[in-house]
Amino acid sequence: MIFYVQPFVAARDLMKVTKLRYLLFLLGLSLSLVAQSQGTRFLDHLRIGFGAGANSADIRVLESYNIYEDLTEASYENSYSPMLQDIGNQYFAQMEWFNDYLILSLKPGTYTYRFSKINEVMFSSENVRQEVPYLLRYISIPLEARYNFDFQRFRPYAGIGITYSHLLGSHDASNQTFIRPMFSAGAVAGTYIDLRYVILDMHIGYHSGLHNITSKTNRFETGNGSTFAQDDLLLNNLQLSLSVLFSLQKQKHYSNVECFY
Amino acid sequence: MPEDGFTKIYNHPEEVLSFFPESVVELPGGGYIYLSAVKDEQAETEYPSTYLVRTSASGEVEWTMNYDWLAPSARLIQRGNNIGFVAMNRQFEAHVILVDPANGNVSSQQNLEMAMTLYAYSDSRGDLVVLGYDFVSRSSWISRYNESFTLQRSTMLPVNTDLEYLIQRHLNKTGQDFHFFIGEYSNESGTGYYVNCFYNYTLRSVFLDISSLNATGDIYSFQIEEGISSLIQNSGSLFGLTSYYEGNNYLLSEAELQVTASQNIRDLPAKALYELTYKARVIANRASFGNTAYTLFSSQTNTNSLVLYQYLTEADSLVHTHYHRFDHRVTVSDVIQTDDLGIAILGEIYILGKYQRPFLVKMPPDPFLPEN
Repeated sequence: MIFYVQPFVAARDLMKVTKLRYLLFLLGLSLSLVAQSQGTRFLDHLRIGFGAGANSADIRVLESYNIYEDLTEASYENSYSPMLQDIGNQYFAQMEWFNDYLILSLKPGTYTYRFSKINEVMFSSENVRQEVPYLLRYISIPLEARYNFDFQRFRPYAGIGITYSHLLGSHDASNQTFIRPMFSAGAVAGTYIDLRYVILDMHIGYHSGLHNITSKTNRFETGNGSTFAQDDLLLNNLQLSLSVLFSLQKQKHYSNVECFY
Repeated sequence: MPEDGFTKIYNHPEEVLSFFPESVVELPGGGYIYLSAVKDEQAETEYPSTYLVRTSASGEVEWTMNYDWLAPSARLIQRGNNIGFVAMNRQFEAHVILVDPANGNVSSQQNLEMAMTLYAYSDSRGDLVVLGYDFVSRSSWISRYNESFTLQRSTMLPVNTDLEYLIQRHLNKTGQDFHFFIGEYSNESGTGYYVNCFYNYTLRSVFLDISSLNATGDIYSFQIEEGISSLIQNSGSLFGLTSYYEGNNYLLSEAELQVTASQNIRDLPAKALYELTYKARVIANRASFGNTAYTLFSSQTNTNSLVLYQYLTEADSLVHTHYHRFDHRVTVSDVIQTDDLGIAILGEIYILGKYQRPFLVKMPPDPFLPEN
């Protein structure tokens, strides 16, 4: 279902892009202030790299809106695919500033979430199950603060993070039923593995959406494949990622020979 | 609910039932009542019964009521605190039935003393105008009743050919769906009704004098295979209309019509609407957005979309075309402007491509405003 109101949508998108730029500017400003305060040592505490991983959306319904009404007073409920059924992915660059215990990590990239909406239409001799797949692709900027323990080659950590995301457009009509910006927060845990020239970062994180992602004014504008109303949703997700980081400081040299007394 | 729009499809679990939505009204306190003809494949009578549904302002069902009255005619009428419809009893005698919108209980019923009702219309004076068909005289039958449903005037328009079988098939939903409708006009030539009905071998829009109900003029086409699907007065002798012939649908957003003459539809230049369904049902409405008058022609496309052509009435220019897409075949039944200046559209959808069920779409006013 599509209403064409292009000028309004364009203005709205422009405003959101401006917000995104503003956020990026603030992040850059923060990092440059940290750099100034640390003087030339800043680069010694910086590492950069890239990563990828898989994620699973965990959809929570805030309020259900079903397009079907039953004339015999039965009720129709929507449900969503359980976690780990539909797997999404993420690709990101990773920049980290660290000291002995604290790590600030920035992982801008594309984060794609997949999930399915299931609803049933009831008839006296059949119940028809309708499953509609969703694919939401966001440009995201997660910022994480991690506390790590130095066990030399292995450095496990735990931390918290907050993410700003911006939903990209698609040809899927259902894409219009979601608002563009999304904020989420969550916890991460993982470990660094120091391989002398590169550092691997294996981490897992659970992020919880901080607000409803459904556009209240475009709730009923779905229509590509199925006709239904969009519920009010929280998009939570579980992420598993592997990153490769390159340190800009001189590497520590851990011995390959262990001593026993 | 912060939204001012919704889409609802009203399902009934019985597969043997087919719903044919006819008319919707918005209630003064909010919410809607819509009328459907319901055909049961296993019923003894071949004519559909009457089904009313009341919904909340956001489209949720509040009550439903099935009545034994047969072949209900569009449109619903409002009388005081009651909602009424015209339908037939099992002897095919037309009645007007008033129901309490609070619970659907019948408040009163009255025999209209006519048969085979095809359309009912409540005019600007509060009179009820009903179109029927008389099998004996083979005539279209138009009657006007006052507010208490007392017969004021009646007229017969001879068809001159036997259309009993076609009329029966139209009423029991097994044959062609003819676009019967009634509206009213007022200009320097007089005040009257236009009635789309069978007359003199063809399906015509006949102009009737409001007092005498005498035919003053008409627009005709080829027999019953072609015709006018909607008609609305813009101003004076200027009318907007849609038609279908030679397999296509046509739109004249503004045409000068003489209500005192007989005109051939083919003499009027028209814009082809190839996207509309075969012999498409079209609803023409007057609507006001931002204190500006618009004419809406609402119909359905071959790609399962509702389509609303929004014309600026005064300038006769198309300002917006609104599409509302569904995943299955749809047909528009009725369109009204709501109190919040949005648009409510009642229609029929084939759920899963199989079962005919009503839907109600409420569009907010924003997409219709001039700046959009």
